[in-house]
Amino acid sequence: MDEIVMAGCIMLVLIGTFSAALGRDPFNKLISLSVMIAGIFPFIVDRGYVDVAAALALIAPLSTIFILMACQRREPS
Amino acid sequence: MIAIYVCALIAVYAALRLIAEGNTMRKLPFLNVVSFAVTGIIALLLPHPITIVAAAAFFVGSTFESNAIASTWAGGMKRNG
Repeated sequence: MDEIVMAGCIMLVLIGTFSAALGRDPFNKLISLSVMIAGIFPFIVDRGYVDVAAALALIAPLSTIFILMACQRREPS
Repeated sequence: MIAIYVCALIAVYAALRLIAEGNTMRKLPFLNVVSFAVTGIIALLLPHPITIVAAAAFFVGSTFESNAIASTWAGGMKRNG
């Protein structure tokens, strides 16, 4: 991978990590978490593990949906 | 080689706009932009025939995830109504 693209992906991971750590709203935390996972993917593909990346891209949204079940917005009675 | 640089630049810019945005509903289009740019990076990274499968899987998965977040934030399914 080129150094500029690698720096961009590292910036994506760091932005997602710090935004998820410092956020307050659980939905903002989930959005930051998906930015972090998106930054990880080019490193997996760069090593040649393309099938691992394809499987992980389909498994990672399932974890987000399981977290969404825990923090569903309550109805205003 | 310039295309992957443009994709990385778009991804970082959209991520910066995403953390600068205050409203949760306005964060979600920037999340989609990040996902599309990362899909472009994955597709342009390796000259391997299965790479496009991984890029398509990531595209489908990230769109699904962002739609799930948006749908749950907007209130989810309305029961018995």
